[in-house]
Amino acid sequence: MAQPEIHHLFHRPIADHSFSSDRQTLAVARDNLIEIYGKSGQKFALQDELRGHDKTVTGVDIAPNSGRIVTCSQDRNAYVWEPSSSGWKPTLVLLRINRAATCVRWCPSESKFAVGSGARVIAVCYFEEENDWWVSKHLKKPIRSTITSVAWHPNSVLLAAGSTDGHARVFSSFIKGVDERPAPSVWGERLPFNTVCGEYLNSTAGWVHGCEFSPSGDALAFVSHDSSITVVYPTGPDMEPKAVLSVATQLLPFMGLIWTSENEIIAAGYDCAAYRLRGDEQGWQLAGSVESAGRPGMDSHREESALNMFKQMDLKGKVQDDTKLKTVHQNTITTIRSYAGSPERVRQFSTSGVDGRVVIWSV
Amino acid sequence: MSQVNWRTINVDALDPDSALNFDMSTLTPAVTPVSASEVQGLAGQIRQLLRGGDHEGALRGALESVPYGADEKGKEIHLHTVIEILQSIRQSEMSPLLSRIYQSEGGSELLDVLMKYLYKGMSHTTPTGGAKQMAPQATGFSQIHPLRTGDGGGQAMSVFLSWHEKLVEIAGPGSIVRVMCDRRTV
Amino acid sequence: MARQSQSLRPYLQCVRASLTAALSLSNFASQASERHNVPEIEAKSSPELLLNPLCVARNDNEKMLIEPSVNSVRVSIKIKQADEIENILVHKFTRFLTQRAEAFFVLRRKAVKGYDISFLITNTHTEEMLKHKLVDFIIQFMEEVDKEISEMKLFLNARARFVAESFLTPFD
Repeated sequence: MAQPEIHHLFHRPIADHSFSSDRQTLAVARDNLIEIYGKSGQKFALQDELRGHDKTVTGVDIAPNSGRIVTCSQDRNAYVWEPSSSGWKPTLVLLRINRAATCVRWCPSESKFAVGSGARVIAVCYFEEENDWWVSKHLKKPIRSTITSVAWHPNSVLLAAGSTDGHARVFSSFIKGVDERPAPSVWGERLPFNTVCGEYLNSTAGWVHGCEFSPSGDALAFVSHDSSITVVYPTGPDMEPKAVLSVATQLLPFMGLIWTSENEIIAAGYDCAAYRLRGDEQGWQLAGSVESAGRPGMDSHREESALNMFKQMDLKGKVQDDTKLKTVHQNTITTIRSYAGSPERVRQFSTSGVDGRVVIWSV
Repeated sequence: MSQVNWRTINVDALDPDSALNFDMSTLTPAVTPVSASEVQGLAGQIRQLLRGGDHEGALRGALESVPYGADEKGKEIHLHTVIEILQSIRQSEMSPLLSRIYQSEGGSELLDVLMKYLYKGMSHTTPTGGAKQMAPQATGFSQIHPLRTGDGGGQAMSVFLSWHEKLVEIAGPGSIVRVMCDRRTV
Repeated sequence: MARQSQSLRPYLQCVRASLTAALSLSNFASQASERHNVPEIEAKSSPELLLNPLCVARNDNEKMLIEPSVNSVRVSIKIKQADEIENILVHKFTRFLTQRAEAFFVLRRKAVKGYDISFLITNTHTEEMLKHKLVDFIIQFMEEVDKEISEMKLFLNARARFVAESFLTPFD
């Protein structure tokens, strides 16, 4: 297995990161601004800063084809940044929300993006030609608390959202004139805007931190604050799902997940490491950490005197005194994204976290 | 003039749509009410098992039939039952017993319930200071006196603490996280 | 006495495990007030953002209350007080500390009711400092306070004896 590629950018939390489709550009959210890094050799060097938000930036996403960057922040605003001869040109999006924006993602067709917010709405934004402006429509109905994450179905109409009210939901974000009528799927056939195609709660009802559709779009997985990961296989509209499989792990909660294939999920979070899960409709299981145990330079334990060891055990209730974690990330991983490969077979993925590192891993 | 000092009124509380009035029952849809007498009946059955020396069966039975829907009194009765079982199991038997439960079907959920009882037990005896009240009065058989008074509940706490230590080794921090998250309290 | 013979270890181990689990915090903007980001455990403006509190106890006199929420955790400690002198010493000592709360970053100015001293740990603390080091700090604090109080008590007794002796000398 190849060694992970570690980029330690700075010592501040990275709320979100996104690579361009050619993987030469990396955008990260750092406090109130967005930093654009360009690849030079093996490293990423700071190229540009996008200024405009006046509170913590919570989401950043680069559209793979158009290269447009969308960002959102706790100042309730979202901007679409377009490359021009004089640098990045921002356009304010008419979100019409009165609380923080928490997450943002382009839909696969890049004609829309969804912004989750603390105002208990999801703003689905699209470009209106006649006004030359990004406007939004609100998904509102059963949402009872802050939206923590949004994820798109491959058909660009269905949208999954996790919330701190413990539910993961699937909505239709069909907008006339923007979207083409989607093919019928397990989630439903006729899908007017704000149709709730599914609403899921696991038995512990922890806050949902992240959700994601499987590559085919026929299953939904979400991670929540009860350290569990739940996979839902729906049967069809208005029917009980075929299977709702919940894996309660021994670990600390996960913050995000990706599907690397129909039968494998990688999730990462407060344990500072990425974990692999395997399974299908019959059941899912934790298959261990993605980090290989024997990384060079990490297995050199400091020799300690027996007295010191017992003193530590007795006084602090722990065996070793350490200021460096054994994992690559030194603090919570907040974002995990696919980096290389097709959606059906992701070969590499990237993670970023509170420790200011962006790491690229091989599956 | 109104007697109410309107400056101190929390207007958010009056708005049914505000974040303050989040309906917590939406997080616990599956909880069904259980009456205190049912819990009492269950406690009798579990004691029967305990008397027969089947510690694992008693613990398993108590954790499987956790009365999430019971009122304060019912929960109290079940807590006493669980505490009694925990105190009758020797320290050396804890780890093997816990790993057997963990490996069985649905075992991790049972251990989550046990973790809830450990924290509940630790928070419970202390404020009343009445370790004496804790002693289940009606049993009349228990060889191990449940809670020794006089040292401020220290003895009872050390039982919880050693269970906790063993349980974390097997069920991991995930199980503590679930105690905090789960709105179905014991 | 039974209390001293019990090792401190299981108690601290339990505190460590509970704190590690509770300190899973994220940056979370307020749902109640626009453009604000406040510790939810203090604001208590949205019930779903607060989690069940955990209590870890060694006995009636030594316990810890952990109140977690989405972006902050309140940790309150009850320090052992065996007699009135220790009572006074703990009161004076915690007062001394809370008046200098800024220097401790995570110390709360006022203790939660029923406890002697409280800490408020927010997501900014877990972002800037290593989580397990924060846990270490609290645990070390708990040990040091115990030690400090017993030392002060010894010192106080010695001083009292000395004062009594010098008062009584002329009347020999």
